[in-house]
Amino acid sequence: MLARQYDFVVRRVGRLARSIAFLPLLLLSGCSVHHLSRQFLLFRPAGPLSGADLRFTLLDVAVMLGIIVPTAAVTTFFLLRYRKTNTNAAYDPTWSHSNLIELVVWAIPLLTVAMLGYYAYRGTYAVDPFHPRLLKGTRAAPVAARPPLRVDVITTDWQWLFIYPKQRIATANELVIPRGTTVDFHMTSATVVNDFFIPNLAGMIDIMPGMRTDQVLVADKLGTYKGYSANFSGGGFSWMGFKTHVVSPRRFRSWAQSVQHAPLHMDYAQFNAFAKPTKNIHGKTYEFSDVKGRLFDQVIEGVLKGKVYTTQLPPPGSA
Amino acid sequence: MVNVQGPWSPILGRLSLGAIPDNPIIAGAFIFSVVLGIVVLGYLTYADRWGYLWREWLTTVDHKKIGVMYIIIGLVMLFRGFVDALMMRTQQVLADGPHSPGFLGAAHGYLVPYHFDQVYSAHGTIMILFAATPILVGLMNVVVPLQIGARDMAFPYLNALGLWLTAVGAALIMLSLFLGDFSHAGWVGLTPLTELAYSPGVGTDYWMWAIQISSVGTTLGAANLIATIVKMRAPGMTWGRLPIFTWTALSTNIIALTSFPVLGVALGLLGLDRYFGTHFFTAGFGGNLMLYSDLFWMWGHPEVYFVILPAFGMMSEIIPTFSEKPLFGYVTMVAASFAIAGVSWSVWLHHFFTMGASPRVNTFFSVATMVVGIPTGVKVFNWAFTVYRGRSRFETPMLWAVGALFMLLVGGLTGMMLAMPPVNYSVHNSVFVVAHFHTMLMVVVYGILGAVTYWFPKVFGFRLNESLGKRFFWFFTAGTIMVFIPMYTSGFMGMTRRLDYLANPALLPFEVAEELGIGLYLVSIYYFVRQLYVSLRDRNANRVSADAWGSARTLEWVAPSPVPFYNFAVTPRVHARDELVWRREQGLEGAVPAHFEDIPMPRNTAVPLVIGALALGLGFGLVWRMWWLTDLSFVAIILTVIARSFVRDTDYVVKAAEVERIEKRLRQGAAEAARNGASASGIDVLRPRESSP
Repeated sequence: MLARQYDFVVRRVGRLARSIAFLPLLLLSGCSVHHLSRQFLLFRPAGPLSGADLRFTLLDVAVMLGIIVPTAAVTTFFLLRYRKTNTNAAYDPTWSHSNLIELVVWAIPLLTVAMLGYYAYRGTYAVDPFHPRLLKGTRAAPVAARPPLRVDVITTDWQWLFIYPKQRIATANELVIPRGTTVDFHMTSATVVNDFFIPNLAGMIDIMPGMRTDQVLVADKLGTYKGYSANFSGGGFSWMGFKTHVVSPRRFRSWAQSVQHAPLHMDYAQFNAFAKPTKNIHGKTYEFSDVKGRLFDQVIEGVLKGKVYTTQLPPPGSA
Repeated sequence: MVNVQGPWSPILGRLSLGAIPDNPIIAGAFIFSVVLGIVVLGYLTYADRWGYLWREWLTTVDHKKIGVMYIIIGLVMLFRGFVDALMMRTQQVLADGPHSPGFLGAAHGYLVPYHFDQVYSAHGTIMILFAATPILVGLMNVVVPLQIGARDMAFPYLNALGLWLTAVGAALIMLSLFLGDFSHAGWVGLTPLTELAYSPGVGTDYWMWAIQISSVGTTLGAANLIATIVKMRAPGMTWGRLPIFTWTALSTNIIALTSFPVLGVALGLLGLDRYFGTHFFTAGFGGNLMLYSDLFWMWGHPEVYFVILPAFGMMSEIIPTFSEKPLFGYVTMVAASFAIAGVSWSVWLHHFFTMGASPRVNTFFSVATMVVGIPTGVKVFNWAFTVYRGRSRFETPMLWAVGALFMLLVGGLTGMMLAMPPVNYSVHNSVFVVAHFHTMLMVVVYGILGAVTYWFPKVFGFRLNESLGKRFFWFFTAGTIMVFIPMYTSGFMGMTRRLDYLANPALLPFEVAEELGIGLYLVSIYYFVRQLYVSLRDRNANRVSADAWGSARTLEWVAPSPVPFYNFAVTPRVHARDELVWRREQGLEGAVPAHFEDIPMPRNTAVPLVIGALALGLGFGLVWRMWWLTDLSFVAIILTVIARSFVRDTDYVVKAAEVERIEKRLRQGAAEAARNGASASGIDVLRPRESSP
């Protein structure tokens, strides 16, 4: 048995050596500033919500750096200036109190927190996943008078199901949304807690079994963005991603019509088959037509009544 | 009782030969442990040290030795946690992009997801609960009674019991490596992932019972330390003169005493779900899985301050000593410690801003979290002003303390970012958060390593090697920078936590940098071990007198180094906040008591060790569902506690003449140390004590 494992390791080491040959290339490509900057998904918002997240991040960092940099500088200066070997520096072996300094050192953080606290309040309401104030204007007077699109999201172990109830279609591990339209996500999980996260478009929000959480977002820029679960949910978690295609409203309509002819269908029984624990290592996607309207509610009701999609016991020390 | 997957028998429970993992890495770890075990046991037998070990360590109730044992357990677990980190980093650097190779049956890297998940869960659980917590409890154990002029803790027997319960928790985690598996659901263990349906193995049970048993120990220890600080202070040690480390120990133990029971309840209810099929935290049947998050973090957040406040205390002791100046703003420092402790109770929800609470709730917890920054900021300024017009010396403890200060600045910056929900939403479960809390825990680690170096000579009578200590510090710091700056950066690339496989190949350069950082940590560990070895070898050249650093300030440095088992020959009278400075000014440093008195001391006892062994049986029985073992151990624990309560003869008296003899010998030793740097004393000067059954 050990011999077999030995052979196995030798073979794999060969494969590793071959793949390491590409390593300098990858590092080079990583060094290309343009290429690398595109990888900072949080700095490249494609919608108002993620844009607001970024603005608040920059604001927070700016304010904090305004305090931390001087503090670090002063501390370093004190440490060097008043080192024991510097005999020119003053030495005051009993000085340990000053009302003025105490007042200042309490006032500085207090004022900072007061200011950041105000922005925290503004920001929390602005990007609240259920009713973002940021999108209120667009809701009252919708962009191009388009009604919002509803998408029901169900996570399983370890796949994504996106249901478009009005279009009676669904996709798995792939999300298509029209640009400039408010997309209203209703989310639940069939099994354990996941997080809905599309770095370029929207921050994280938990998806929990037996409960519904929401996320509302608008995408401004066409393109394909990575989405994934951000909350650990078991063995297939690392492969639990989905591509988000932001397309023009016209293309969205034609895409939805084409999916309405997809050969696969989806009702609760088919969902239960789909929800068997699956590691989506190869990134497979599916399209479903004739999706039952109540599926989302049925999944929640099923979970509340005790439906579980049991994980099988793996042998110790292995998969 | 619920039905579990897999076979079960009345004698062995779920245990069978199949529980032994078939994995070359674990086999290697097993061989390493066996060889190490044989070497240690062989040495003990060969050198005939069993009796010494039993009398001096296993049955001791001496707060210093218990503290030292806590720290040893913590350091061993710190090393285990580091190996876990090394494995995680190596997995992520190997499993990067769809073309990355796979070994040992993994699609990418060398760890299958289920194994990787156990490694990171063990890393988190161990580092927080079995490395940081025991080392801090150990340091408080050693230092607090000395700082307040007490002979021991208020309840020495309880103190030993706390130690052995912590050891049992650590032992259960180590056992899980070789028998069965460990939890795969992270150190937090969010429900319903930890429910039986999604975690059917024994791993979650190991995690649950290891924490549950050791947290009983920590709670008892907290009650003990509070009682000690409130009731055992020497005459003259008023609240206004209490050394700052003792103040932080008091605030931190109030947190522990009030928060650990919440953890006990959370895990207890989860246990009911897993063993009796109740539905406290399940998704269905009326369970509420969000309740677990609340309960866990109602403990978890105070726990964060439980580990950081003593570190602040250590910095507040080290910086004045090596600045040769009193701490700036003593009263504000105390107020700030208690402010942090108080606010720690109202911030737990920031661990799950994304769980969908209303913006009103999120705003409240956001602002409450930021409020913590106020007293913390004050502390930083006060340390800076302690250095101002001082005479800073950069000996190893000072390096660690200053390092901790700068870690705190970085951690504070990123903490204020995370406290703001709109920022939090974009990095909540990303490696940015991982980097943030590691920076904060680095404050604790730096504080601990500084404190260990600082108080080491007090306990052992000689100083640790300076140049190797500095090398340890610089390599450790380089490792910290190399690991965590790329980690912060990749957080902005949208990289989330706990990934066994990274889909994005652009992350590779960052993973390589982190792996190099881990290599630097490895080098630093080499220097740490070498530092311990060289210091022990050359101990006779590094003997110190009572004040090991020449500029120490507080009461513990009045007692001789190494401290005899009774601490102070005569209970000291305290005159000032910095007692040693006061005595130095009055020319009283090294003054000898005019006459000695009898000292009543607690007797050694094996009962805590026995209860610990039975608790290990209880935990092991519960994990494997061997009900006979569980019942037997439980009944035996109760009977032992009852039997012990009938033992009246728990103290003995050290005669005045004996005290005088020991003090004389210590003074001679110190004088010799000062003269020619050689002496025969060491911690062995703590003479063997009579044992009680």
